[in-house]
Amino acid sequence: MLDLDYSWLADPAYQSWLVVGVINTLKLAAISSIAATLIGMLGALALTLRIAWLDALIELFVEVFRNTPPLLQMLFAYFTLSTLGLQVTDPDTGLSMPLLSAFACAAISLSLFGGALAIEAFRSGIETMPRAIIEAGQALGYSRWARFWRIEAPIATRISLPALTNILSNLFKTTSQASVITVPELMYYAGQIYNDNFRTMEVMILVLVIYVTLVSILTYLMARLERWMAFPGYGKAAS
Amino acid sequence: MMTAQLSYDAKKKSVLFLLAAAVVVWIIVDAATGGDEHWARVGVRLPLLLTGSGDGWPVTGGFILNVLLSIASMAVATALGTIMGIATLAQRAVIRLPAFLVMNFLRNSPWLVLLFAMLYIIPYEIRVFGMVIPFPPFMKAVIGLALPTAANFSEVIRGAVQSIHSGQWEAARSLGYSTRQIYMHVILPQAFRRMIPGWMNLYALLMIATALATVTGIQDVLTILNTSLAMESERALVYFYLTVLFMFFAYCYPIAVFARRLERAVKGDNI
Repeated sequence: MLDLDYSWLADPAYQSWLVVGVINTLKLAAISSIAATLIGMLGALALTLRIAWLDALIELFVEVFRNTPPLLQMLFAYFTLSTLGLQVTDPDTGLSMPLLSAFACAAISLSLFGGALAIEAFRSGIETMPRAIIEAGQALGYSRWARFWRIEAPIATRISLPALTNILSNLFKTTSQASVITVPELMYYAGQIYNDNFRTMEVMILVLVIYVTLVSILTYLMARLERWMAFPGYGKAAS
Repeated sequence: MMTAQLSYDAKKKSVLFLLAAAVVVWIIVDAATGGDEHWARVGVRLPLLLTGSGDGWPVTGGFILNVLLSIASMAVATALGTIMGIATLAQRAVIRLPAFLVMNFLRNSPWLVLLFAMLYIIPYEIRVFGMVIPFPPFMKAVIGLALPTAANFSEVIRGAVQSIHSGQWEAARSLGYSTRQIYMHVILPQAFRRMIPGWMNLYALLMIATALATVTGIQDVLTILNTSLAMESERALVYFYLTVLFMFFAYCYPIAVFARRLERAVKGDNI
């Protein structure tokens, strides 16, 4: 039924497209993952201050980004930031061109999307921390900040890690949508290849396998990190 | 402590209310200073964006097609996910391991890539016993979106079944129930309650993902946004984007809030 022909893979042009695509996907994923984690930590940190107006602003941010399609967010970001946004004049050609490339727009939009999810993850990590630990810290005479940095933050980070793994793998998968705004990542080059050789099914299967492999490696590494960071005798790793 | 808690929430709510009011004021001010002609364009196109036809009837696409797509996909995903979830809980490794493999493959693949792959892997029609079953793009989109959703739903089922205290198993076993009876009469009725929030969250996620179906070429809200709006001015497009973003938000946010409320209610009954 399926007669798959992968002889086109021998072509160096296709090989280099695939390699460049994977590298750009990894770059986009790395940048947006780091930014999303930072946004998540800062957001959750801001929530612990319990300032009502800040809390409301963060909630609005989280809900808007969680409840709208990331594809639409990306298109909107690309459109507003690149087409309508800041323009610079190219010194060589004298033409006006957008300051932010498609890649930058995708990175910004994915960072915000991932950041909104990460805020939720870290917030629930802080919330589900056992009260007894905080009370023990208070009883030992820790100051508010020492308690946060030495007790609450390390434990909350570890509680939030499984949720963060989910978010980062979700974010990695979402980077494929950047192809829609012509970011030259793996999915974009997949389109280039099958438009060239018409081996659509073969290309899509290969790309699917590459993505699954990359995401599996990511989740494996995060599981390793989880085990490495685990406190002896505390949490899931203890059992 | 209790009153402080309440006043904090009340304060937060009032700030959120103020923010909503600020958005309304901004829209009015913007409309008064030239935005109204753009909003008028959005108003003219609104029936098209919602139903796919300029007069609002018949429904041929648009946001309503996204809703229909999400419902159809969710139905398929629920059936598939239940089978997959039960298979991953099977005692026999012959059933369990392949189910795990398929589940993890689907969970680790990007929705967009999976949708694209389904678009090309599924033939245009299948012949079974002389009957020709056509596969229009809509059906392909349903299947392409249902597969990752099913994998996620099977994970929800597994989590819910495993969250039932092991004492329940031991009690049922000591009463002489068979494994099948334990599932049917003891475990699943309880697990079912805990699945519902996860199922609803998954539906909201699926609804958001229906935006991807634009790659299959069906006339969903994004396709219409991209094609028929090429003739609008650049400024007006911002208003169109905001309108479509708001459609998704208005549909998904209430579901997310309801799911969270249920989740909190279910958390209490830890037997």
